[in-house]
Amino acid sequence: MLVLTRKVDQSIIIGDDIRIVIVDVRGDQVKIGIDAPRSVSVHREEVYEDILQENRRAALTKNVDINELDKFLQGAKRQS
Amino acid sequence: MKITTARFGEITVEPEQIITFSQGILGFEGFHQYILIEQENSLFSFLQCVDQPDLSFVVVMPELLRADYQVDLDPQSVEEMSFESAEDGRVLAIVTVPDNVAEMTANLQAPIVINIKQRVAMQIVLTDSKYHTRHNVLAEYQKATFELHKATQSHEQEQEPQAQDGAKNLA
Repeated sequence: MLVLTRKVDQSIIIGDDIRIVIVDVRGDQVKIGIDAPRSVSVHREEVYEDILQENRRAALTKNVDINELDKFLQGAKRQS
Repeated sequence: MKITTARFGEITVEPEQIITFSQGILGFEGFHQYILIEQENSLFSFLQCVDQPDLSFVVVMPELLRADYQVDLDPQSVEEMSFESAEDGRVLAIVTVPDNVAEMTANLQAPIVINIKQRVAMQIVLTDSKYHTRHNVLAEYQKATFELHKATQSHEQEQEPQAQDGAKNLA
C-alpha cells in the first residue's frame, strides 16, 4: 500500500478526477473531504461491508411463503 | 416480454414495468433491471431481477416498522434519479428471511428508493445512526402498531368532540 504523509488542508489526487483533502485532525480522528465523480461511490468501509453482506443474505431468501410472513405479522399485531 | 423467475416461474413483463438500477444493488452490481411484484393482501412485495431468475428480494414499506421513517435524498441522488417531485418517490426496505421466519430482519439503513414515474431506482445509505441493517421485523412492527394504537387512543380521549379531525390527522 502506498503511504503518504499529509498535513491539514493538503490533498491527494487519484487519477484525473478524485481529490482527497485532510480537513481536520483531532486526536485519533481524521476528517477527510472527498471530491469524486458521481459514478464513483464512496462509503465508510465497515458500512459498505455490512450492507454488502446483508444484501447477499437477503438474496438467499428462497421459497419463502409470503402468506406465512403476513401471518407472523398479524400475530404480532394481536399481541400488542 | 416473458421472463423466467425461480420464484414465480415464467411471467410476462411489460417494458414499462421495468425499474432500472443504473448502479445495480450493492453486491449485485451486474444486474440493472428489476420489476416490483406486489402481492394482494400482503404487506410484502418482491423485487425480482429481470435478467437473473434466481435473484429476487423480499421488500417491505419501512414506515410499517418505523412510523416516522423518512429518507432525505441528497441533491446528487435527486438529480441522478431525475426526481421532479417527492411524490414520485417510493421507499422500500430489503427483508432477510432466515429459516426461522420469526427472526426476519429489515435493512433500514440502506433502503431502495424508486422514482416510480421515471422507473429508476437506487439503494442509498442513510447516515442516521438510529438505523442499521438488521431490524427485527416482528418487534418493530409490533412496536409501531402499539404506538399507533396508543396515539389513536390518547387522541380520542383528549379531543373527543373533534374525533373526525383526529381521524384525518392519522390518515
